[in-house]
Amino acid sequence: MSALPIGMYVPGNSILHRLDPRVKMGATLVLMMIPFAVHGLWGYVALSTFVVTAVLLSGVPLGALLRTLRTVFWIAFLMFFLYLFTTPGEPLLALGSIAITRQGLLAAVAQIYRLCLLVTVASLLTFTTSPIHLTHGLEAMLSPLERARLPVRELAMVLTIALRFVPTLQEEIDKIAKAQRARGADFRTGGPLRRARNLVPIFVPIFVSAFRRADELATAMDARGFRSALHRTRMRKLRLGSLDLLATLIVMGLVLTVIWLG
Amino acid sequence: MLIQVENLTHIYNQGTPFERVALREVNLEIEAGERIGILGPTGSGKSTLVQHLAGLLKPTAGRVLLEGTPIHSKGATARKLRLQVGLAFQYPEDQIFEQTVFREVAFGPRNLGLDEAEVAARVNWALEMVGLDPVAVAQRMPFTLSGGEMRRVALASILAMRPRVLILDEPTAGQDPQGRRALLDKVGAWQRETNMTLIVVSHALEDLARLVERVIALREGRVVADGPTRQVLSDVKLLRAIGLDVPQPVALLQALRQAGKEVRVDRFLPAEAASEIARVWGLRGSVT
Repeated sequence: MSALPIGMYVPGNSILHRLDPRVKMGATLVLMMIPFAVHGLWGYVALSTFVVTAVLLSGVPLGALLRTLRTVFWIAFLMFFLYLFTTPGEPLLALGSIAITRQGLLAAVAQIYRLCLLVTVASLLTFTTSPIHLTHGLEAMLSPLERARLPVRELAMVLTIALRFVPTLQEEIDKIAKAQRARGADFRTGGPLRRARNLVPIFVPIFVSAFRRADELATAMDARGFRSALHRTRMRKLRLGSLDLLATLIVMGLVLTVIWLG
Repeated sequence: MLIQVENLTHIYNQGTPFERVALREVNLEIEAGERIGILGPTGSGKSTLVQHLAGLLKPTAGRVLLEGTPIHSKGATARKLRLQVGLAFQYPEDQIFEQTVFREVAFGPRNLGLDEAEVAARVNWALEMVGLDPVAVAQRMPFTLSGGEMRRVALASILAMRPRVLILDEPTAGQDPQGRRALLDKVGAWQRETNMTLIVVSHALEDLARLVERVIALREGRVVADGPTRQVLSDVKLLRAIGLDVPQPVALLQALRQAGKEVRVDRFLPAEAASEIARVWGLRGSVT
């Protein structure tokens, strides 16, 4: 294990950790959409206050959040300049044929802000919700689609298994990378093509072991009588509490405020 | 002095809720040509320590010097130094990726920048050292070999780099007793032939007994014993304290001593223990 994997669950007992996953997922969806309804300064202030408060309440280490945000740095960088140079309007600074406009600058800043907000909100969900809760929540939210013959429970199962193996794979990649480095493999120099080729000694072994693991897991599930069509009961049923109601009301309040502020 | 470990501390995931201290202020000195065993229960920091010796981890504090140069520093000199340390992880066969055994074993030597004639010579030498017939296996796909053969190919791929220091992390894990003995005998032979420094990590005491002359015991990231194999492996109190089984011959002699017999307990090989018992009972002859 090297660094904390991106978006990994951070165990804790904050208010955010205790919320029902369905409420958190609903709130996350809403919060990912409302930045697009915000146009004025006060709307942004209200939204930011809410998100910052949520981050502080969650008790998630800020370093981990910043590391997650760093992953979108290049996308943000690109977006910033795209909006900066391509938005028509009142010019602030002209460089030959291209000009930076006031509208462009505002749009660029707004886009970066939205992107950061999106990433923050999404990672708050994964930081404070264990994979098991996440899939239970997803299953519950998708269950209406079962009528449309969508195999919701199986999908949730597949997702649980996939999430469960993310840290395992990460550890394995780390180990193989080290083993190949000890044999003189170099992953840090050369052009992009060369670097991509240098990854072969890592990815071939990882694929081999992933397939082997999948096989073993399937055998183990089969041996314990796993059948996908059965209706499974849960040890812990999801139940909405007063905290969940409160959180829902607060998020609804936020949405109304933001729309009202414009 | 070949390797010096100075106040080495390693903390995984520092500053996160998953923080875990793996090594605490470890100090060691290793001479060229030594045969060393590293002993300790699961989670005692053995694997972390050997990864540091190979320059694969960045110390949280302290440093590891190979011939006086910090092995983890950046730059070409440190990289060259690191390549003089060969490390076989647990289950080294997991790292196999090439289409033929030859190319797999040649990967390391090619990374050293050797010419093809030298690479081929090294591949043949390394395959012979691990007991595989180069003519028979060189062009085979590694994944068609048996598990034991794959492990030997993986070990050959490290030997082919001709490291001055060879580190084996649990080399016999998952092998049957006969395979274990054969492999350990080979490791001993490599060491004699190349006179390299050998470091073997294991929690199986019997593996270490024959192979190494010095044992370093770790517990919770600290060095709790460092001395001649005979001394450490017969220290019943120490072994029990760090949660390891005492070698069976030693346990037997210990029991005899508690029953009032004047036996020496530092005889950890079965034949040695038998001779000692024969001596105490005044039996003639010796067991070999």
